[in-house]
Amino acid sequence: MKNLIITGLLLASFSFAGLSQREIEYVEYDLDNGIHVILHEETSTPIVAVSVLYHVGSKNEKDERTGFAHFFEHLLFEGSENIERGEYSELVEKNGGTLNANTSWDRTFYYEILPSNQLELGLWLESERLLHAKVDNTGIETQRSVVKEEKRQRDTPYSSFIEEMFSRMYPDHPYRWMPIGSMEHLDAAEEKDYVDFYRTFYVPANATLTIAGDIDIEETKKWINKYFNSIPKGQALNLYRDLETMEEEAFVKTYGMSKERFDVNDFSNPDGKLAGALLNKLSNSPIRIPRPNEPQVKLSEVKKAVVHDNIQLPALFMGYQTPSQTHEDMYALQMMNDVLAGGASSRINKSLVEQKQMAVQAFAFAFGLEQAGVALFGAIGSAGQELDAIQSEFDIQIKMIQDKLISQEEFEKVRNQYENDFVSSNSTIAGIAENLADNHVYNGGAEKINTELAKYLSVTREDIQRVAKKYLTQDARIVLHYLPMEEDAEESENGQN
Amino acid sequence: MKNYILTLGLILPTVLFGQIDRSIRPEAAPAPTINIKNSEVFTTANGITVILSENHRLPRVSFNLSMGATPKVEGDKAGLSGVAGSLIMSGTENRSKDELDNAIDYMGASLRASSTNVSMSCLTKHMEKGLGLMSDVVMNANFPQSEVDRIISQNEDNLLATKSQEAEMSGNARAVANFPSTHPYGEVMTQASLDKIDRASIVQYFKETFTPNGSYLVVVGDITLEQTKAAVEKNFGSWSGGAVYKAELVSANSVKGNRVIFVNKAGADQSVISITYPLDIKPSNEDYLKLKVLDGILGGGVFGNRLMQNLREDKGYTYGCRSRASVDNYGSTFSAGGNFRNDVTDSAIVEILMELDRITEGLVEDEELSMTKSSMAGSFARSLEQPSTVARFALNIIRNELPKDYYQTYLKQLEAVTKEDILMVAQKYMTGSNCNIVVVGNEEVIDRIMKFDSDGKIEKLDAFGNEASEKMEADISADELLEKYSTMMAMGSTGKALKKKLKSVKTHKTVIEMKIPQAPGPAIATTIWTAKGAEGSKMEMMGMTMQKSYFDGKKGGSGGQGGAKVMTEEEIAETKKSYGLIPEMNYAESGMDYELTGIEMYDGKPCYVLKLTESKKVTFEYFDKETFQKTASVIMATTDQGMQEVTYTYADYKEYGGFLFPDTINLFVSGMQLSGKVKSREINVKVDLNEFK
Repeated sequence: MKNLIITGLLLASFSFAGLSQREIEYVEYDLDNGIHVILHEETSTPIVAVSVLYHVGSKNEKDERTGFAHFFEHLLFEGSENIERGEYSELVEKNGGTLNANTSWDRTFYYEILPSNQLELGLWLESERLLHAKVDNTGIETQRSVVKEEKRQRDTPYSSFIEEMFSRMYPDHPYRWMPIGSMEHLDAAEEKDYVDFYRTFYVPANATLTIAGDIDIEETKKWINKYFNSIPKGQALNLYRDLETMEEEAFVKTYGMSKERFDVNDFSNPDGKLAGALLNKLSNSPIRIPRPNEPQVKLSEVKKAVVHDNIQLPALFMGYQTPSQTHEDMYALQMMNDVLAGGASSRINKSLVEQKQMAVQAFAFAFGLEQAGVALFGAIGSAGQELDAIQSEFDIQIKMIQDKLISQEEFEKVRNQYENDFVSSNSTIAGIAENLADNHVYNGGAEKINTELAKYLSVTREDIQRVAKKYLTQDARIVLHYLPMEEDAEESENGQN
Repeated sequence: MKNYILTLGLILPTVLFGQIDRSIRPEAAPAPTINIKNSEVFTTANGITVILSENHRLPRVSFNLSMGATPKVEGDKAGLSGVAGSLIMSGTENRSKDELDNAIDYMGASLRASSTNVSMSCLTKHMEKGLGLMSDVVMNANFPQSEVDRIISQNEDNLLATKSQEAEMSGNARAVANFPSTHPYGEVMTQASLDKIDRASIVQYFKETFTPNGSYLVVVGDITLEQTKAAVEKNFGSWSGGAVYKAELVSANSVKGNRVIFVNKAGADQSVISITYPLDIKPSNEDYLKLKVLDGILGGGVFGNRLMQNLREDKGYTYGCRSRASVDNYGSTFSAGGNFRNDVTDSAIVEILMELDRITEGLVEDEELSMTKSSMAGSFARSLEQPSTVARFALNIIRNELPKDYYQTYLKQLEAVTKEDILMVAQKYMTGSNCNIVVVGNEEVIDRIMKFDSDGKIEKLDAFGNEASEKMEADISADELLEKYSTMMAMGSTGKALKKKLKSVKTHKTVIEMKIPQAPGPAIATTIWTAKGAEGSKMEMMGMTMQKSYFDGKKGGSGGQGGAKVMTEEEIAETKKSYGLIPEMNYAESGMDYELTGIEMYDGKPCYVLKLTESKKVTFEYFDKETFQKTASVIMATTDQGMQEVTYTYADYKEYGGFLFPDTINLFVSGMQLSGKVKSREINVKVDLNEFK
């Protein structure tokens, strides 16, 4: 019997061999100022994705200034020294492109998708954003109201559960707050706070420029040199930004010489030896980018809490501490999650929703972040459903996956789903650009884009059982009961232990 | 596998960075050509034209099978092809619908069908399985009666819903305005034509339409010519069928002078305007691309197009005003319009017609031409990332008889379009004086739009494009109608006998089970009424109260998902106007504002229409002219979110305690239908208003 299964597996991996070998080729290098460049040529469609990943997310924020990273995702569409307010998006759209950005706990990602003959425009736009974006009160005011509206729209029933979970899971780490952050903090912050954040994190050494699409590599390098290599290195960037924004008097006070000695159009050749020496010195003084330490607190008990929300149906959320996204076990953990609760035919959906009808919906997420992870399970109960009964059912299912190997059919299905997802995520140039940048910044190298699927497909049924035992610890987890407001006030008090 | 990780010295030019003026914006490079390989084309013994577009970038493959038949005139079965199309995936001789769905999910593949098309896409390694399922559907779809019934009843719901959907009504009116009923594009499904569609006709449609002869199979993705030939032979080699239906279609209607077509939408607060006419052009015409650019400048593009600029930005008449030149091999049309407030209906028409004329009178600006071209080039290029786009192009080239390199050179052709070209196609195809001016809206705008009709005679259509039966004068008064209605409700009792009968009813409680599409379970609506003037209603779903309301005769309120609210003085006063078991009996004394507007057709039957006007809503009630039974209430309510329309229909009147009440009550709201059946109706049971507070 055992032999048969192994043969089946061998056959399966043999048939995958052809697929996983379709490598994504790319060129990568660093500019002198520290920008990491990744270029992927894909000529089948005459479009190009220009993206910049800034290694700054909500975990880089100060705890009294949360929401900054996400706020910048909005603010940095306001324009630059050479781009009028509101013109950034218009320039992209009227030249046949689209653009967007997103922010997580760990990063901020900007991209444009343009016809390939507009590549130079895209590079200019992104270099303007990095070099000298408009960070001033007018833009801050405008975007404050936009972000507040976004926050309002995100405040949907149950939506607080991720923060409720993370704040208990990692109380000593900035993962405890959400990227959207606090509106009070954004209101309280002054222009200087925003300028400081920009000058700390929006610097070449913190940026990965990834371009994918119908490009000529050599020509692209030439343009990158023109627009990005000309961005000053280290603290010389502050000098450049001050040259544009400071009054003469303040400039002299700061740098001991007149603005006259410098020219933004020929910045690397200042007037006089002193100015040259200063530029050289500042170029070689790096800007320190603060990064938090890894979370230290190990969850060692069951933490239970009741949350009252504007909801009708009760809900249960359970979370377990898991390692960071780069850990080997994450592959097996994610597949385990999907066997348990990914999709309509998963175990938990079948038992909780279809057979026992205890829940109207059941789901799972495997968060893999840069410095930690969370395996999260959730179910929205049927009306009047006791949440303890749902929890028991979850526990039965968890025990089952710990005690017994998953079936060959479940295994094949989840492998099929991963393979399909993987292929889909690399089916667009924007997807490839994002995956290359992510792999470079978080997974130890862009080349991981070509080995990731093999990693998933090398996970065995035994691995899935092993990680289930290792991480789904009954005696160390967070359990959240979501209940409708006003009712059961007593239970609320008892539950907060 | 070649990853180049180069050291700094190798890649950096000798001059690190010299002078740069960042205020100079980069110019676009020359428009690129597109690297679509020429497709391989071959024909199978049984008549399928196979078009292969090899693309090994990703391990995916898609098969898209389209039938080659000319659209058929469906006559008294109008709508047949649509109904048949939604049933093709309902199971085969070998697999039930569930088995089919599960097999597809397991592979992470997709398999879809429409009235003339079946398509499948999957990872290459699942191709054999996927094609097995696809060919099973193509050859053995078996249209189980239960699924036929389900889809037909779904279509019935949709037809009823059409009457509250202005966009649908406008589409139907446009169809009959531009095409004769002997053209497939001039046909509109109605309840009468749906009644004629049965399983036999669906099976026949499928058999006649789904034949290998003249069909096109577009194969895109990670597959070679050899593999394609083998796969097609294996899966479709045994497929047989009759000759493909080919026919010359009759011409579109010719429009001489402007023709105003009005579709009545009782109580509407805005007019849906569509200015439309047939275009004499096919995709193979060399003017086609120029016409699309013109369309972009006029009202099809994103930024600052003329219609949007004029009617939205400058005049503020509307949120959106657009145009669209829709061009295909069987019948092309142009249309321009949007939604406009009642009071600017005529001004909006003036402006749209002016723009249609203006573009024929002079060269367009350089800026608007270049912006439109760039935006079109961009969206064209981006659309190519989807393999399905490439498949569509390959098929278009054959079906539309386009040059083989049409799409490869598309961007260059686009770039070459000049202002003079735009003026040329504008003068050839654009007109502000031979148009169908279709307006769906409130009767009160008729006076405003009459003047646009060349012969001054406005045509009135119903929701389905049929000539609207003129509203007839009522032959009785409103009070007579209400009396007849009350007598019907009381099963013939009148006067003292009726009063006595009414006195015997102390309470009335109804429980209705309402089926909601896509919801896991039905909703239960409960209403109570007491002779003391109390009333309550609530809607529950899966044990949860979605909404509830009560009125105790003096005050009331509502609660549930929308939050708790107390009735205002105004609402109390209005609730008091509908008192009694048969509130209609009391309208004359209760202060209700009511008016009998005439006789109209509703659902194919002549009905008296009673209009009730309250502060925040207008209700049109339809009473069957023969039986005096109430068949529908259409409520137009003004809410914070704008006008909301709710339609109730009533049928199957049955006796309860000496009175007739409907057993079937359907509710249409926001394009959704809730079908309700009365589960219980009880007279003089104990009721508790507290359940509704």
